[in-house]
Amino acid sequence: MRIYLVLTIASLKMYFRNRQAIFWALFFPMLIMLIFGLFNFDKFSPPDVGLVNNANNDAATAFIDAVSSDADPLLVLDTGNEADLREKLRTGDIDALLILPEGFGNPGSVSTIKALYDSRKPQEQGVTQTIVGDVLDSMFLQMANVPDEYRVESRFVIEPDYIAGEGQGYRGFIVPGVAAMAIMQYGLFGVVFSLIRYKTGGVLRRLQATPIGASHFLIGQMTTRLIVTILQTYVLLLVGMLVLGVSVGNGTIMNWIDITTLAIFGGALFTVLGLAISGWAKSEDVAAPVANIVSLPMMFLSGVFFPVDSLPNWLSSISRFFPLTYLADGFREITVNGASILTLGPELLGLGIWTVVSFIVATRVFKWE
Amino acid sequence: MTTQAESATARNNNAVISVNGLKKRYTDIVAVDDISFEVTRGEIFGMLGPNGAGKTTTIEILEGMRSADSGTALVGGFDVHRDTKKVKSIIGVQLQASAFFDHLSVAETIRLYGELYGERVDVDAILEEVELTDRRKAYFNHLSGGQKQRLSIAVALVNKPQVLFLDEPTTALDPQARRHMWDLIQRIRATGTTIMLTTHYMEEAEEICDRVAIMDQGKIVQLDTPDVLVERLLDSGFKSTRVAKLANLEDVFINLTGRSLREG
Repeated sequence: MRIYLVLTIASLKMYFRNRQAIFWALFFPMLIMLIFGLFNFDKFSPPDVGLVNNANNDAATAFIDAVSSDADPLLVLDTGNEADLREKLRTGDIDALLILPEGFGNPGSVSTIKALYDSRKPQEQGVTQTIVGDVLDSMFLQMANVPDEYRVESRFVIEPDYIAGEGQGYRGFIVPGVAAMAIMQYGLFGVVFSLIRYKTGGVLRRLQATPIGASHFLIGQMTTRLIVTILQTYVLLLVGMLVLGVSVGNGTIMNWIDITTLAIFGGALFTVLGLAISGWAKSEDVAAPVANIVSLPMMFLSGVFFPVDSLPNWLSSISRFFPLTYLADGFREITVNGASILTLGPELLGLGIWTVVSFIVATRVFKWE
Repeated sequence: MTTQAESATARNNNAVISVNGLKKRYTDIVAVDDISFEVTRGEIFGMLGPNGAGKTTTIEILEGMRSADSGTALVGGFDVHRDTKKVKSIIGVQLQASAFFDHLSVAETIRLYGELYGERVDVDAILEEVELTDRRKAYFNHLSGGQKQRLSIAVALVNKPQVLFLDEPTTALDPQARRHMWDLIQRIRATGTTIMLTTHYMEEAEEICDRVAIMDQGKIVQLDTPDVLVERLLDSGFKSTRVAKLANLEDVFINLTGRSLREG
């Protein structure tokens, strides 16, 4: 019994002296809990619905007010003309389209509201249908309460129709985001762990004994990593394409060239950043938490799994400038909108600046052993 | 203090390494405390002393891996401080922790380092010299300790160096491997390479070193051939309390298990 106690105590001592273990066991889950707890991800997110208002009468206004009051809208309305809104429905910018007929709500009439849904978004359809149905019912009831002299009947009917939307939805959002995140993980952790191993193993030092030193080796290493980064990006995007049906822009060679270029920019940045961290750190124990503290916030706040916009303002105004945000946005512009890399000036500039900063830091703090 | 041997060396002017007033301190420790000596071309020169004596720091300064605070050090006629690159190009170095790439083979490693010196290396010849021919395709991380040491020396020879620096070349080797290493070192010297090594094995210094500098706490306490050092001690009236055996346990071990190298 005593031996068991002695060993347990020794084990506890060793555990608590291991900073990395404490980080993963205590700090990391806390971080996750706080992030998901503070930012109400389970809040009801109203569907984006387009509205073609062919009625322009009081009833229409009443309907609009009921559905999208400022404080807590049931639907987020986007009013416009039918052609534009049909296009938006097709590309997935809006989730459904409602067309209010002329004479909507006129006494004694049957008002047929055409509702156009994206067949790939059954959830949004259900929500929209329910909300609109409820609102129309209450409008009808209100009218039905009008005193006898004025009572007239109007009825509301919803006529649903479906189109096959081409928007990529959530999948289209996260595939480029995850590709960007993968570049970050590989650049940071891949470099950190291999370089630290070289450092503590004395490999770098042995190279320093030669007339040309170890700098060429490091450059060769970085080049290798860039190549792997590009391959990794291809693989991820191909999987996204084949398994999840997410397209890469219009699938042209140009799109893929742009992806490659952006991957190089992103890979270079995170590789240099990894170089800075592992150049500074004396051992893996020290390097790993630093790499984690850099990468984890970005993983959650850079628009990888959900848009930066859904974060509270004070947070998104900072995370907009994170390196991963630039990379994820850039990839997304190419895959979702088929944008050319030439239009991604701000993203490239952001990545470039971060790379230069990381490089300067790296040269300042680098230790060979 | 200048001994007969030292003056002879100085007059000889055949010094391939010459150190004068070398000093190096780390924050609160003086690692190298004003040492001066010369190493003759073609000799095996040993620095002997306990851990922390300053041997490794001295050799690192001569290798151009560390800078001295003051004093001069010339290797092959080049000032280590001013012409570090030149010095590095004419020397071979075996560091204490021999570290190469886990997933490169023996032959690939030798060739790679040869490239770093701009040399097209005769890999086979070097492999033969260090007796690693049968491991030429083995990955570094599959080698035994002794094999790693031999690879280390092989790599140190790629540029046909004038001087070979060995930092504790036989630490962690078993008696057979150690003896084989001594044979190897002497074979290398026979080709004209000067060798400077550090060690804390007295027997090693006695066996293979032409001259030995005994270092302690940053200073060279004595420098001469092993025989003269022992003679001087005996002359001072020292009587060893050790019982001189005709053979010891190491002899038993070697005798029983054979002198040939056996490595897994």
